Amino acid sequence: MADIEVHMAEAVTNPGDYVLVTSGIGSCLVITLYDSKLQIGALAHTMVPSSAKRDAQYHQRASAHLSYEASTIGHACAVAERVSTKTEDTKYVDVAIDKMLRGLEAKGSKREDMEVKLIGGANMFPSLMSNDIGKDNVLSAKEKLRAEGIRIVGECVGGSQGRSVEFSPTTGVVTVKLKF
Amino acid sequence: MESELQQVTRLEQINNEAAEQASAALSKLIDRHVDVAISKAEVKKVAELSPLIGTEEMVAGIYLPVTGDIQGASLLIFPKETAFILSDLLVKRPPGTTRKLTPLDESALKEVGNIIAGNYLTVMANALQIKVVEHTPNFSFDMFGAIVSQIITQFAEKTENALIIEIEFTINPETFKGYFLLLFEVEQFKAILGSISGAEDLLC
Repeated sequence: MADIEVHMAEAVTNPGDYVLVTSGIGSCLVITLYDSKLQIGALAHTMVPSSAKRDAQYHQRASAHLSYEASTIGHACAVAERVSTKTEDTKYVDVAIDKMLRGLEAKGSKREDMEVKLIGGANMFPSLMSNDIGKDNVLSAKEKLRAEGIRIVGECVGGSQGRSVEFSPTTGVVTVKLKF
Repeated sequence: MESELQQVTRLEQINNEAAEQASAALSKLIDRHVDVAISKAEVKKVAELSPLIGTEEMVAGIYLPVTGDIQGASLLIFPKETAFILSDLLVKRPPGTTRKLTPLDESALKEVGNIIAGNYLTVMANALQIKVVEHTPNFSFDMFGAIVSQIITQFAEKTENALIIEIEFTINPETFKGYFLLLFEVEQFKAILGSISGAEDLLC
């Protein structure tokens, strides 16, 4: 079966028989979600840990627009819709997990049947970068998955090496490639 | 009538001056004549950088953070074969010897990164009359996508564009290519390009 390339900040759910691939992962975190009973899955290619900081800034700005526009021309609904669209930004670990969960649950998946694998979260320049965003991505994913009650069954994370990933959503098998 | 010099845009002047200085510094380092030319300078969305080179292709990446009046990153990329050729020249091995990079090669390649990035940033800072602080280079030899995405990720919240400069090195009889990427925070990036005549067309 053909492949679907999942680029940075994208999440693909329920691709049928297509194999999901993503190559050259550094600090980004690839999250695969699989339901072994229904044999369906999803993959997200996330970049940054959490939307919380972004949301606080965005909602602050949006609220200012909202109150201004509501009081002037009454276009509050349009602004509220923009806020909602923005929260679908799957470059964030937490947003991507939410999107994948919704995608599988819409097909009848139950959380106890779901399992996750994590790949990536490296630091390609370990001696220079004080803020290890790869590590933060992994921690954020683990925290979010614990809160949502989803099991992590495998991980290939950290270090300072790039990785490529292949995921079969019908079998749940993840293949990780390193080059060295 | 406008002189030839006046017809050259400021961006070209920056590129030419940086290339000239890099040529002189690299020639001295390698002890052979090196001609550095900037063959292309363009602004791309950071999300569109990966097709430059295949995401799984092995490259040498030399990363230098940029601070001072502007906050950003500079990244010099050499495809694997170019990195091997440069290593032979830098550590004075017979051509075609390098098949794996040693710590000595990495150190030599970091020095090349220092020269290219340092010269470009100095010329740009002088032209724009801003203060730019250069930092020590850091090295990674891995998949292109993994190296570039780490730098993009550092700026995921702060920028949308990168200035990509294609560099050609000629060390007779060979010419080989590298890429120099500059990323700055959104407003600073607009201000930088906006103040360089000849760069208006590059603005997205």
